[in-house]
Amino acid sequence: MIEAHGLTRRYGEFTAVRGISFSVSDGEILGMLGPNGAGKTTTIRMITGFLPPTSGQVTVNGHDLFNEPSRARREIGYLPETVALYGEMRVHEYLAYRTRLEGMSRAAAREAMPRTIRSCLLEDVEHQIIGTLSKGYRQRVGLAAAILHGPRVLVLDEPTVGLDPKQIIAIRELIRELGQERTLLISTHILPEVEQLCHRVLIIDRGRIVAEGTPQELRAQAQGSSIVAITVQGAPAGAVEALGRIPGVESVETVEAEADGDLRLRIESAPGEDSREAVFRAAVEHGWVLLELVERRESLEDIFVRLTGRDADAEEPEAEDSEEPEAEDSEEPISGDETSEGDQP
Amino acid sequence: MSAFLAVLSRELRAYFYSPMAYVILACIQAYNGATFSYIVWVLSGPGAGGSATPLRIFFAPHFFFWLFLFVVVAVLTMRLIAEELRSGTIEPLMTSPVSEAQVVLGKYVAAFVFFLFLWAPTLVFVLIMGRWSEVDWGPIASGYLGIVGIGAVFMAVGIFGSSLSKSQIVAAILTFAMLTFFFFVSIAHDLATDETAKEIINHMNLMQHMDDFGKGIVDTRRLVYYVSTSALFLFFTSLALAAKKWR
Repeated sequence: MIEAHGLTRRYGEFTAVRGISFSVSDGEILGMLGPNGAGKTTTIRMITGFLPPTSGQVTVNGHDLFNEPSRARREIGYLPETVALYGEMRVHEYLAYRTRLEGMSRAAAREAMPRTIRSCLLEDVEHQIIGTLSKGYRQRVGLAAAILHGPRVLVLDEPTVGLDPKQIIAIRELIRELGQERTLLISTHILPEVEQLCHRVLIIDRGRIVAEGTPQELRAQAQGSSIVAITVQGAPAGAVEALGRIPGVESVETVEAEADGDLRLRIESAPGEDSREAVFRAAVEHGWVLLELVERRESLEDIFVRLTGRDADAEEPEAEDSEEPEAEDSEEPISGDETSEGDQP
Repeated sequence: MSAFLAVLSRELRAYFYSPMAYVILACIQAYNGATFSYIVWVLSGPGAGGSATPLRIFFAPHFFFWLFLFVVVAVLTMRLIAEELRSGTIEPLMTSPVSEAQVVLGKYVAAFVFFLFLWAPTLVFVLIMGRWSEVDWGPIASGYLGIVGIGAVFMAVGIFGSSLSKSQIVAAILTFAMLTFFFFVSIAHDLATDETAKEIINHMNLMQHMDDFGKGIVDTRRLVYYVSTSALFLFFTSLALAAKKWR
């Protein structure tokens, strides 16, 4: 059980996280989504006690992180975003070291080590020097260190980064298994992972929670409005206005003015309305050449992009406007490399 | 306690696994060996005499020895915390149920043990002297006591320096700068004219202390001074480590 209340973190003038509150209960897997620099890692660091919040409170299984840091930390297993390990140690030495840091008894450690090594697929490299391991193996050593002491709360920051597809499946399986009786908080930017693993999703942007719910809820919420994307040849004048007059259409936006001079539009109608026919008739009536007419269903990716859409240059924008739609054709998965977040001051 | 021992054994292992430690070990052995041989050679030559014994001179080293020792301490300790800050291993470390004090103490004791290990080979000199001449054991014991006490202070300054920066080089420079304070004390002692000031400065003048230890003079006030100064720097280190989070 994790409970976070009003977490805020400022770095000097910059506010990385602004009043985030949420809770994760036992047996629940909560996914935290957000673009680079949204404040995911900062939030996670506050929950694991690495960074004290500027204001706000965290309790882990009822232990306040500030007042009982050791008790609270003992409850948590944590896989940091950048898995940092001691390069000169061997895998089994490092894990043995972690059992001692966690204050496990020798008997408990003897029992836990082989089990963890097996479940994290580390048998092959058990006696290798960590400095010689590939990224995927290091990631799994980090994960092994996080679950070694059998914590009831697990916080995993990008758990499957750097793994090959086969390993990803195995690790997801492990995470799902771990999530059955534990509290799990996962940060990720791999959307299929969220849909497969998480019971509930938080979308974070600019240090705030911009959406919350089950993946199904979020999708249902977005599927409410029906969206038609069209491309009109030659960008005829007055097209936007004419389409806007169609009954049921709520908004018409220009997606992008291509160099070829064609006009791409995104037409959003009230839930349940299908405006395709009306759009076609309007085109015929005005003599526009329709190059494309597609009905678009919003996926989790679209919701993500819409909620977190932002100007690349806007350093510190007001979060109130985060709803501003950005009708980017989101074919590309939101899984860019998120490596620089840990370099915040 | 378990966490302290875990940190201690990991740090000790890290020392003995790193090539740097063996380079330092070799250098200090070469230096000590050459110094000792030279002292023995001069004292066994014609015209030498008086009350001087090789070990007595050995334990009253000159400025260059201190300079060398400062460098050794700075290099030995620079890694301790700076490396964890740089590589990010500080994150899994400080999010496990350990306190700053346990981490600092574990690392400090490991560094101190390694420092003592550097001096262990000089026991050979004592054996040689014991084998071939009459040896007064008292001053030898007190000489080693001085090395242990001063080493404790220096290593504490070093770990504090290491906690101030992510960069090991910066940490080493800071440590070196702080240690040169002890040089300054020695110079101030020579220059001071006021008797009270001289007295006060003398309490901090490690070089004078070492001279006395070499003669067999053990002043408990000095031991108290070493222990309290070390404790103070370790406390500063814990604070510096805790403060890293708050920025």
